Amino acid sequence: MSEDRFFDRLREDARPLRFEPDEFMTTRVAARIRERIQSPATASQVLARWFRPLAASLSALALAATLGIVWIDRSSTPDTQQPTVESLSATNTIEISAGGDVYRVNP
Amino acid sequence: MKAAAAHEEDSLEVAAIAETKAGRPEAYEYLVGKYLKRVISVAWGIVRNADDAEDLAQEAFVRAYENIARFRTGDPFGPWIYRIVTNLSLDVVKHRSRVRQEALSEMEEGERRDRADLGARTNEIAARIDTALKTLPEMQRMVARMHLVEEFSHTEIAEMLKLSEGTVRSHLSLARRKLREQLADIYGGSDE
Repeated sequence: MSEDRFFDRLREDARPLRFEPDEFMTTRVAARIRERIQSPATASQVLARWFRPLAASLSALALAATLGIVWIDRSSTPDTQQPTVESLSATNTIEISAGGDVYRVNP
Repeated sequence: MKAAAAHEEDSLEVAAIAETKAGRPEAYEYLVGKYLKRVISVAWGIVRNADDAEDLAQEAFVRAYENIARFRTGDPFGPWIYRIVTNLSLDVVKHRSRVRQEALSEMEEGERRDRADLGARTNEIAARIDTALKTLPEMQRMVARMHLVEEFSHTEIAEMLKLSEGTVRSHLSLARRKLREQLADIYGGSDE
């Protein structure tokens, strides 16, 4: 018997092994599926559906506002930390080395 | 005549998918009615438990419904729903093998609740085939069952189990050799 013929016969004889759900089972499963896909949304689901995009928009707005305030604050404050030539010369001594000797000048 | 009927059926399926996509869940019932029995059978073939097969079929249809927007209109619904239920069933089998290592198939044979009661109503040959199938390693058993009992093609099985067609053929070839040995008294042991 060829391999194909063997499988053909096997398939024919194995047909009763197929699980054949009865009408009760299929009706029950179909009803459950219907119930799940057609069930109206619960109050919490409706609220979540509305509030999720709202919360996302508010979060984005809050982030943008915070970043804006920080940027404005930084750009408007005078920078007092930047050293000027005057401040440097007022506080530091000037060192000059010549011929192995170091000379310090206090301006 | 047959071709015309098939075309009619396909166009009904395409229409049901389009309507479901458009937000009319009642149109989905056509697809449930058309594929439910086989989806339950595919699940049962993997998990070998009627209650689990029922739950898995239900879950597969709900998931397909929830993702219907991603389904390409014009494609056949069958391979898609079979793939979903196969993946869900394989997850159940994996979970079971993680939870407990012992073989479940024999223990749960009594839970088969369908029209074809193996012990009483099917013939002896079918029972012998079933016993021989059970002795195969897991993947060979699954592939052989899908091919012999569910009558899926190599391509369909490859898609459902996420295997290459070559791997499916290889599993099938090994399964065939073992089945032939075990059922030699019925079908003859060698090529004639």
